[in-house]
Amino acid sequence: MPARRWLRSLALRPLLQAWPWLLVVLALVGVRLSKGAGLADAYALLSRPFWPGTAQAEWLRSARRFEDTARIGALEAENARLRGLIGLQQASPKRLTAPVISREPAGWWQTLLLGRGSLQGVAEGQAVLAPGGLIGVVSGVTPSTARVTLLTDPASRVGVWVGRTRHHGLLTGLGTPRPVLRFLEKDPGVLPGDVVTTSPASTLVPPDLPVGVIQSVDAGADPAPEALVQLAAPVGSVDWVQLLAR
Amino acid sequence: MALLTRHPWFAASILLVPLLTLAAPGWPRLAGVGPCWAILWLLPWALAEGRLSGVVAGAALGLLLDALHPGGASQMPGLMLLGWWWGRMGRLGAPVERSFSLGLLALLGTLLLDLTLMLQWALRSGLAGGSRLAIDGIDPAPLAQSGWHLHDLAGAGLHVLLARTLLTALLAPVLCSLQMLLWRQQGAGTVRR
Repeated sequence: MPARRWLRSLALRPLLQAWPWLLVVLALVGVRLSKGAGLADAYALLSRPFWPGTAQAEWLRSARRFEDTARIGALEAENARLRGLIGLQQASPKRLTAPVISREPAGWWQTLLLGRGSLQGVAEGQAVLAPGGLIGVVSGVTPSTARVTLLTDPASRVGVWVGRTRHHGLLTGLGTPRPVLRFLEKDPGVLPGDVVTTSPASTLVPPDLPVGVIQSVDAGADPAPEALVQLAAPVGSVDWVQLLAR
Repeated sequence: MALLTRHPWFAASILLVPLLTLAAPGWPRLAGVGPCWAILWLLPWALAEGRLSGVVAGAALGLLLDALHPGGASQMPGLMLLGWWWGRMGRLGAPVERSFSLGLLALLGTLLLDLTLMLQWALRSGLAGGSRLAIDGIDPAPLAQSGWHLHDLAGAGLHVLLARTLLTALLAPVLCSLQMLLWRQQGAGTVRR
């Protein structure tokens, strides 16, 4: 009896009294063994209101936009420098906006009349752009008007290429809403859906302007393989166009 | 030439033709193709005025319209021929007033005018040698020949021809009879002697 009492008084008493501290130590050991699982989760739960929100995403997006703009500028400058080195035509950034004052999208002649003329600096041969891409070339100028021969007019011939396969061709108006692309190689290897742009080697129109999308391919056509092209710009409903200075 | 000397402002109405061609109103259209406004003005003028006036008006119209359209083909020969034909008809025959005859004349006139245009393009395309296969590779020269080609004329060209002819013939009875009424009243007594 005295021995039991002695034991209780010596060893168990402080242990029994310190049991909350033992629990804490056990919890810390648990945290250590689980590599901080409870701690990190608790921190995540507590800090949830302060996580980066949409505003931060917007900042990042604007930073990305800034980076892209700067990179496009630098690439354009480098492109112009390289084109200058090998003597190709420069893509001029100067543009003039002109209203469409008369429209004849079907019939024997497929033309537009623009309300800007030689007084405003329009010259024959300038490329005409609508939202979507190239729609035609200026074929006649008066002091205050300019006549545009549309790509669909049978008199229109523009050198284009398919960027994916790097095959050149001649975009030829047929008098129908869709011009035909006649290739200068036997096996162009193009597919419906390929994007057609003006040829980088073209001297008539500025290089690399989007024109349209190939709709169907006739590889066995005579005398050259040909493809129907759906123009990217809605020719029948444009009200304002842009003229590219040469 | 009575109208021309007595009422020169009627002759000035010839300017309506290029203006209407430029304005290209959206409502009178068949498959996207507008009518031939030159025929709609020349038909009543030549019928009311006679042969000489018809030919002169045809030539004037041809000059005005050729100025508006780029390219080699000219509408002058067709319009002069029509002016002469309709002027002769107005002078010799019984008065042409029934809308059916007006419509028929406009139909034949547009057909003739567009055929003269097609003939000019076909001749140019034929003289250029057409497009044929080179022995090695593709010869780009015939592909680059601009203007209407023979096979385009047979496809899209036929479509334009039909649409223009039908629409002009449908509009002619309405517009031409009104013009003829006005011009005959104003030039009364001097029109047909």
